[in-house]
Amino acid sequence: MLLVSVAAVFVLAALTPLLVRGLGRDAGYVGAAVLAGIAVWLGASTPTVLGGEAVTAEVRWIPQVDISFTLRMDGIGLLFALIVLGIGAVVLAYAARYFGRDQRRKASRYLALLTFFAGAMLGLVLADDVVLLFVFWELTSISSFFLIGGLGEGKAGATRALLITSIGGLALFAGAILLGVEGGTTSLSALAADPSAIVASPLAPVIVVLLLLAVATKSAQLPFHFWLPGAMVAPTPVSTYLHAATMVKAGIYLLFRTTGILSEVPMWTPTLVVLGGATAVYAAFVATTQDDLKGLLAFSTVSQLGMIVLILGVGTPLAIAVAGLYTLSHALYKATLFMTVGIIDSATGTRSLAALGGLRRHLPLVALAGGLAAISMAGLLPLVGFVAKEEAFAALLHAETAWVGPVGTALAVLASFGTFAYSARYYLGTFEGPVRTPAHRAPAGFVLPAVLTGVAGLALGLVVPVLDPLVNGLARDATGTDPELHLALWHGLTLPLGLSILVVLVGSALYLQRDRVTGLLTRRPLPRGADVFDRAYDGLLALGSRVGRTSTSDATVTYLLPVLLTAVAVVGAATATIDLSDLGAPAPSLAGDGVVIVLLLGAVIAAVVARGRLAAIAALGLTGFTVAVWFVLLGAPDLALTQILIETLTVALVVVVFRRLPGRFPNAGRRRRVLGIVTAALVGTGAATATYLATGRRELSDIGGSLLAEGQDLTGGANVVNTILVDFRALDTLGEVVVLAIAALGILALVRFVPRDAVPMPHRDDPTAAIEPDFSDARFGGAGMIGSQLLRTTTAMLAPAMVVASLWLLLRGHNAVGGGFIGGLVAGAAIVLRYFSHGHADIWHARTTRTVPTVGIGVLIAVGYGLGGLGLTGAFLAGGKIPLPFVDDVAASLVFDIGVYVVVVGLVASIIRHLGQSVGPHSLPGRDDDAGDLDTRETARTGSGGLS
Amino acid sequence: MSALLVAPFALPLAVAALLLLLRRRPHLQRVIGVAGVVALVAVGVGLVVATAGGEVHATRVGGWPGGLAIVFVADGVSALLVAGASIVSVLCLVTAAARDEDRHPLFHPLVAVLLAGVLGSFVTGDLFNLFVTFEVMLIASYVLVALRGGPREVRASTVYVTVNLLASAMLLIGIALLYGAAGTVELASLHRVVVEVPNAAIGATLVATAVAVKASLVPLHSWLPRVYPVAGPATTALFSALLTKAGVYVLLRLDSTVFADVDAFRQVLLVVAVVTMVIGVLGAVGRSDVRGILSFHMVSQVGYLVLPIGIGTVAAYTAGLVYLLQYLAVKGSLFLTAAAIETITGTGQLARLGGMLRTRPALAIGFLLPALSLAGIPPTSGFVGKFLLVDAAFESHLLLAGGVAVAVSFATLLSMLKIWNGVFWGERTSEVTDEPGLAAYSFPVPAGGAGGGDPPAPPVVRNGRTLALAAPALLVGVLVLALGVLAGPLVDLVQPAAQTLADPQPYLDAVRRS
Amino acid sequence: MTAALIVGILAAAGTYLVLQRGIVRITLGFVLLGHAATTALLAAGGVARRDLAFVGAPGTPGDPLPQAFALTAIVISFGVTAFLLALAYRSRDTLGHDDVEAPDLEGSLLDQSASALELRIPTADEDAEPVDDAPGNREDGR
Repeated sequence: MLLVSVAAVFVLAALTPLLVRGLGRDAGYVGAAVLAGIAVWLGASTPTVLGGEAVTAEVRWIPQVDISFTLRMDGIGLLFALIVLGIGAVVLAYAARYFGRDQRRKASRYLALLTFFAGAMLGLVLADDVVLLFVFWELTSISSFFLIGGLGEGKAGATRALLITSIGGLALFAGAILLGVEGGTTSLSALAADPSAIVASPLAPVIVVLLLLAVATKSAQLPFHFWLPGAMVAPTPVSTYLHAATMVKAGIYLLFRTTGILSEVPMWTPTLVVLGGATAVYAAFVATTQDDLKGLLAFSTVSQLGMIVLILGVGTPLAIAVAGLYTLSHALYKATLFMTVGIIDSATGTRSLAALGGLRRHLPLVALAGGLAAISMAGLLPLVGFVAKEEAFAALLHAETAWVGPVGTALAVLASFGTFAYSARYYLGTFEGPVRTPAHRAPAGFVLPAVLTGVAGLALGLVVPVLDPLVNGLARDATGTDPELHLALWHGLTLPLGLSILVVLVGSALYLQRDRVTGLLTRRPLPRGADVFDRAYDGLLALGSRVGRTSTSDATVTYLLPVLLTAVAVVGAATATIDLSDLGAPAPSLAGDGVVIVLLLGAVIAAVVARGRLAAIAALGLTGFTVAVWFVLLGAPDLALTQILIETLTVALVVVVFRRLPGRFPNAGRRRRVLGIVTAALVGTGAATATYLATGRRELSDIGGSLLAEGQDLTGGANVVNTILVDFRALDTLGEVVVLAIAALGILALVRFVPRDAVPMPHRDDPTAAIEPDFSDARFGGAGMIGSQLLRTTTAMLAPAMVVASLWLLLRGHNAVGGGFIGGLVAGAAIVLRYFSHGHADIWHARTTRTVPTVGIGVLIAVGYGLGGLGLTGAFLAGGKIPLPFVDDVAASLVFDIGVYVVVVGLVASIIRHLGQSVGPHSLPGRDDDAGDLDTRETARTGSGGLS
Repeated sequence: MSALLVAPFALPLAVAALLLLLRRRPHLQRVIGVAGVVALVAVGVGLVVATAGGEVHATRVGGWPGGLAIVFVADGVSALLVAGASIVSVLCLVTAAARDEDRHPLFHPLVAVLLAGVLGSFVTGDLFNLFVTFEVMLIASYVLVALRGGPREVRASTVYVTVNLLASAMLLIGIALLYGAAGTVELASLHRVVVEVPNAAIGATLVATAVAVKASLVPLHSWLPRVYPVAGPATTALFSALLTKAGVYVLLRLDSTVFADVDAFRQVLLVVAVVTMVIGVLGAVGRSDVRGILSFHMVSQVGYLVLPIGIGTVAAYTAGLVYLLQYLAVKGSLFLTAAAIETITGTGQLARLGGMLRTRPALAIGFLLPALSLAGIPPTSGFVGKFLLVDAAFESHLLLAGGVAVAVSFATLLSMLKIWNGVFWGERTSEVTDEPGLAAYSFPVPAGGAGGGDPPAPPVVRNGRTLALAAPALLVGVLVLALGVLAGPLVDLVQPAAQTLADPQPYLDAVRRS
Repeated sequence: MTAALIVGILAAAGTYLVLQRGIVRITLGFVLLGHAATTALLAAGGVARRDLAFVGAPGTPGDPLPQAFALTAIVISFGVTAFLLALAYRSRDTLGHDDVEAPDLEGSLLDQSASALELRIPTADEDAEPVDDAPGNREDGR
């Protein structure tokens, strides 16, 4: 039943747009009917619920952390469900006439959202699992965000409202989880049944604070009250429903729910009494000074909510029962008042008390409804509001905690002064006195809902005893004991009655002297909450952009330095914590090593201090070769050879790129140099220490040993390193090949495939292209940097020889120094040599070196080899032997090595083809002039053939 | 099985090579590129099925005996990540196609290689091979970032490449030191090595630091918000789903193998995670461009993803995985919405946008649900993830960590509101018209028609295209709600994976058996 | 000891260079850091064993695995270096030099001045050069 009800409301919300399409704004009546129907349906089970057995329904949700979708309707749930649905029905009916006939889209949006909100609210008051309660809680916040914000017209108010309520929402989130953790269950009923675990928990105060934060934000208690008046930009039906009758009641509801669990916690009562009392008094007096009717009602809502919080704070069963009654009566009259304001607004076009008056003659029905509601709010006979106020005083006077009685009563009475005053102000200022703004009559359908709730207040007042079972049952379900409260209009001459009379007297005086009050309040105005909020908001944004500054710099150092320092710090800390007692002896050093170190030191220093680019390259090359020597000393010839070739290529590459750059490095300034030196010292020491401690202190690793032992038997290759590369860890090599391929493509992309200043493709039948040999300046050597005839002739012979050599290296790699990489690099070296001697055009027109096909095919061969292995032997990149006629078998991995070879050649070729092109006029930094760009386009087009 | 295990790495590479040779057939490229990723989704699903019961599968690549070869391992975590990442990639490719970002002849090959690297790093069980897969992933991402080749791209790529080069060098040295101390680079054999081999801690921490750079943990994060907003919008979405996640994944792995039973590691990560959440979200709040905000959120979210390591309970790992899976989709779709916005309006500056709720309601909804999910608002999947995470934290009495996790979602919501208010509410600005402007085509026209040579398409965003742009986000929106409601099954799905993270024994056995 | 010194020297020099200006100079730094890494890898194999890692080779053959690692690492870092230099080449075409730190004539990259967009009219600085109509789009639109 509960599930169906909640689901039904959401379904209705989903269907509303369709209904509106069909019925126009009258769809509101359909919605009202459905809500009313559900209300009746739920109401039918009143006897059982008040008889003490709640209606429940459960669906599994996250069983692993026993969160379930459990709905439960006890006395509290019943009262609130009835308020939500009843007022909801009235409001939808009201909205059906509030929106003009022509405002279909608007009506559709608001009706749907209102219904959705009703569903969320219903779920909230029926949820038994505190996490589920949170879910619906947030749904109400979100839907109210869109109800207030509309299509953006109320975004400031909506943003404030959502942010404030979401503070509370998150507090509730944390509080709910803590309840679950500390109480062992998230079921509210279970927790209420046995709160001992919570009360005993050291975290109880934390939980209380979190939940009260939720209450204060949602129910607009000080100091979070300001979002509620700010939310008044919303259309009146929204204000009526959310900000008078229901959403703000969510916080109150949470208090009803948790009072049975937490009221034992010492801080509960005092906090609530002070919080509620202060809010009630403050808002009551602010309300009396408001000129905008909606503002007046908004603050009065804040004040009334404060009253309820105050009463609930007392915590006695009696107080709970009274609070229930108070909530009900407030819902009735506040709904009425808001609806009347909406009518007045549309009838007169203003909500300003200064411009209103005497409307009783034009809008008699409205005056009736408003009058009844005002009387009820002011707490006068014979309306339900009177009973509520009387009982409130009584409950406060009978508080258990000694000081709460007098203090609470005093605050309540004080607030009631204001209440009486603004009630009078609302009615007299609007309906009595001279007519200031004429009003055209309001259609009956627009007024009836207001009259309905207004009269309901009267009726309930007259037959108030019928509410006994409801409020008592509610109190029993909240606290466990039945206060046996007997409601009546007349209790005889009691202290509360005396207080009421006092309220009337002082209240009237206050009304008459309201201008003085206004002056008093405005002379020393409290900081407006909204402003404080906005300042905090902007402050947060400013802080944020300061935090984000680090990510705006262009200087690489700002990003590299933290990484380096963190690394040093972390590794240093780790090293400091380990015990180095039982490390093996460090590896011995040989005499030769010293030479290496000296050489290296020299080369490195040269590289560091070099300010000219060519000097730097020379130093770099020297460093590389020294490292290669070291590799030789360590018995790693493949490595040394690779190192030398790579170093050569790197140098060539750098030279090629340098030709387009200024001859000297940009100067980073002295501070940067110092920074560099310090960091370098730290990193260097760290690296040395780490290496010293972590390496060379154990025997040959098991895997290394078995590789040496079994390598050849398994692969047939005697060069263990190569067998690792192409067999055991061919996967690494595959990845490495891909890296090279993508690097080659990246160069292509950066030089040719760019929308602006793309370097044009040299074109055979276009002699004007900027790649004709340019002997004028050897540094930009179209004819190669070292354009000597001798070199050209030698290269003519050397290059082919190198290619042959590279193939030979490729073939023998498996058994001796060599392999795909080394072979490929040698072939690459041949290309570079030819480039330096014959110039770019020569390489460019050698179509065999086109980038995309070369690397594509290379990768395809490598991957294909792997997949072939997968197909034939079921293992990706499986090695094996290919039997050949006449010669000995060849290791299958040769295929793989060929792929590697091709890709390496492709990369080197790509460097030469794209980076090696001499500098033409086009590639001066084109800033803005379209002409330059246009001809770039032009040349680019003509070049199109080149990259295919 | 072994085929399925190598597929995440091998398949995309094969596709990439193929796509390269098809460079002059853009439409065919597009079809095959997308088809390849769809195939990867199938592979991922296959792996998930194969590991659903908590099984772990391992294979020696090349089938060499005696533990000489590289081992590929798939447990629940790897499987889920492979599946999740591939699915999001499909969405990204759809958007890329919808905005013609993929007309660059190298786009699809590069994406394939990127996927190879990322998915490879999810399944490899070997530290050095991890380095290689990372390099594969990175080189592809370098080129993708620089693809447009304008000054902004050059500056951003320089930052990106240098930072990652440094991290790679650190990773390599770390691996070297680790091998120097322990004599192996196989994660399974390195289990508890920090506890057992004293001087292994040096290399291990260096490796962890290097990985933290790639995961962009504070204080190693500032490069990410600098670089990501500059790449092509759809590309950024792809990165958000793939790159930092690889880093987070490796941290999870290191935690369960190399750093097993090392409390200091967890404590440090706990602190780092909390700081990362806060710093990241503050940065997001401070930005005023859509992708800038989202990029900083990636930093903040990494904090959430690493928090489980700091907590270190099965509940925490479960929460972390749930969070990670839904977050992949959420963040991806948010970036895709950003891509759509920029495609339609030509700008991501909040100050220049507004009123798109009226012009592009579908887009608004497509943004809303993932945004709420990112902020952890129920009933979205993000709420479930956040709830499980905070619950786990509180269960382990880490009140502060849990509390910060909750508080940060406030700032997250705030920044999402900022986007909502700036883009979808408010005055409609000149950029935001019903007839979108030229800016729709911010993809590079390759100099010379390598894109097929045809001239740029007419500068009109047809409705079909707008829908295509919004579709992925809407799809994720539905998914987000579904996952929120069906949280139970989701948790069941990830629990075995979380188990293997908490107790890697099955993982170790599987590798030993292979 | 030797290995440690060599690694330290290379790492220090590399660090110094990567913290300087100009893509090319930074690249040189990374080349040195790459050397540091490879030497560290070899050191990890143990510099005590210095003979050829060939089957049937005499003496104490070195650990072949780190050698393979180092080989792979060298080649990979060469690939990345090449790309980085291509970036320098490109930056020369777009910025006129390889110094990304030098301020751009086209104005600063990211407008960070964020203030409460929602709550009031955007302040002037929010309209500063936005990320997205930097050259990237302008010329593509053309």
